[in-house]
Amino acid sequence: MKKDSIRKTIMGLIIPVLILLLWFYVTTYGSIPSGILPSIPKVGITFQEMIQSGQLQQDLLVSLYRVVKGYLVSALLGIVLGSLMGMFPTVKELFLPIVTVIRQIPMIAWIPLVILWCGIGELSKVVIIVLAAFFPILVNTQNGIENTPKGYIEVARLYQLTPWNTFTKVYLPHALPHILVGLKLGLGIAWMAVVAAELIAATTGIGYRMSNARSMMQSNVVIVCMIVIGIIGVLMDKAIGMLFSQFTPWQTGEKKS
Amino acid sequence: MNDITKNATKATDEWIVNVQHLNKQFVVDKQPIDILHDINLQVKKGEFITIVGHSGCGKSTLLKIICGLVPHENGIVKRNGHAVTGPGPKCGMVFQDHRLLPWLKIKDNVGFGLKHLSKEERMQKVTEHLELVGLKDFANSYPSQLSGGMSQRAAIARGLANNPTILLLDEPFGALDALTRIQMQKEILRIQAKENTTMIMVTHDIDEAIYLGDRIVVMSARPGEIKEIITPDPIESKKRGSALFAKYKKKIYDYFFEDSAHECEAEYMI
Repeated sequence: MKKDSIRKTIMGLIIPVLILLLWFYVTTYGSIPSGILPSIPKVGITFQEMIQSGQLQQDLLVSLYRVVKGYLVSALLGIVLGSLMGMFPTVKELFLPIVTVIRQIPMIAWIPLVILWCGIGELSKVVIIVLAAFFPILVNTQNGIENTPKGYIEVARLYQLTPWNTFTKVYLPHALPHILVGLKLGLGIAWMAVVAAELIAATTGIGYRMSNARSMMQSNVVIVCMIVIGIIGVLMDKAIGMLFSQFTPWQTGEKKS
Repeated sequence: MNDITKNATKATDEWIVNVQHLNKQFVVDKQPIDILHDINLQVKKGEFITIVGHSGCGKSTLLKIICGLVPHENGIVKRNGHAVTGPGPKCGMVFQDHRLLPWLKIKDNVGFGLKHLSKEERMQKVTEHLELVGLKDFANSYPSQLSGGMSQRAAIARGLANNPTILLLDEPFGALDALTRIQMQKEILRIQAKENTTMIMVTHDIDEAIYLGDRIVVMSARPGEIKEIITPDPIESKKRGSALFAKYKKKIYDYFFEDSAHECEAEYMI
């Protein structure tokens, strides 16, 4: 078991180390201008400088705040509409076709229209996050609610639960693991959406920092931002995974992700 | 005391469960299919009725009609003298697949029908019934941590927890191994004697039907009809090796044998 995890770690590190070696080689012995590819030490120094000046933290805070706002709205909308679609066939018939079509539109394709309608302020970022994170939450919620076994619903009828109690005691707990999958996916997508939205039109945030650095040929800042975005994405995913596994104590090991 | 209650029930209806001229059809692919045909069954308080028949003969549907989970369009179905319009607190049901909710601990599953009680009263009822089925130590376990027999006992505890006057059991031991099943049969008799609950159990196990039933309802399939109601000797039917037990067994076997013989004839005629 332990040996296996050591092996996994080593295997996972091989490619990153090779990339770093290649990067080190071409920046030391090659003739690539530093505006295109900075050296590894320079990226490290830039990272340190950005932390010390407080700029990186401020950019991240702005972006994360947008994610929180957009994510909460999409979670609320997704769970409510998903539950209604899962419980009432009429609601499903009404919404499913349009949802299926809209889902196919890539999240970045919304950005031009959202900017036209909402400007380049806070609102447009939140709207883009909502549009991106809403669908995985909606679809997973609907799926979980809809697949509640008939037998459990019969038990609720036998004990004469009110419709609301049937929802909270039977449908919702059954759908919870599915909803959590949707929420986990949604958070990752929300994080990607905020960066994309800020890259295209913003005056603050981590995405704006990247786009600003690009226009000044500061590839070192661009790379620092990319690495930070990646790491934050992984941390959020792990954190939400750990948090959510507490919510479904009845599921034994193999079902937890 | 007993006489007073007896008289009181007599005034409204003598029977705790009263089914008269019940027919039931399901529509499958726009074709009406007869599930139950002219069912007549009267059950006294405290009686243990077993219904034995082929799979798909409408036994389960009959139970669901009695407890109000499936509506009936014609005939009379009464519980405690009142026409059945839907599920009620005085009628519990135990399903073949225990149907414990996987997200609730055993104690919360057993207390699932007790939402109207205060927390203390609920816990007291739950503990009492977990003790009755011998699962006191598993109150805080989840259903996935219990074996099949334990899950089924928990389901019986849930069925009994709100003190129903009638408990309907739909092949509750069908998924258990033979030894566990015999164990459970003994326990259900013990529980019934203790709680004096009227029980109607559907089964396809003839031995089980004879061993448990004060009366055995033999049903045929398609449409589900009552062929005969056998009242076995109350002492001899509890001895699995007795001559009388074997006699009842043969009698019931013959019903099903005769049934299949008819089916063969029908096939030849086509």
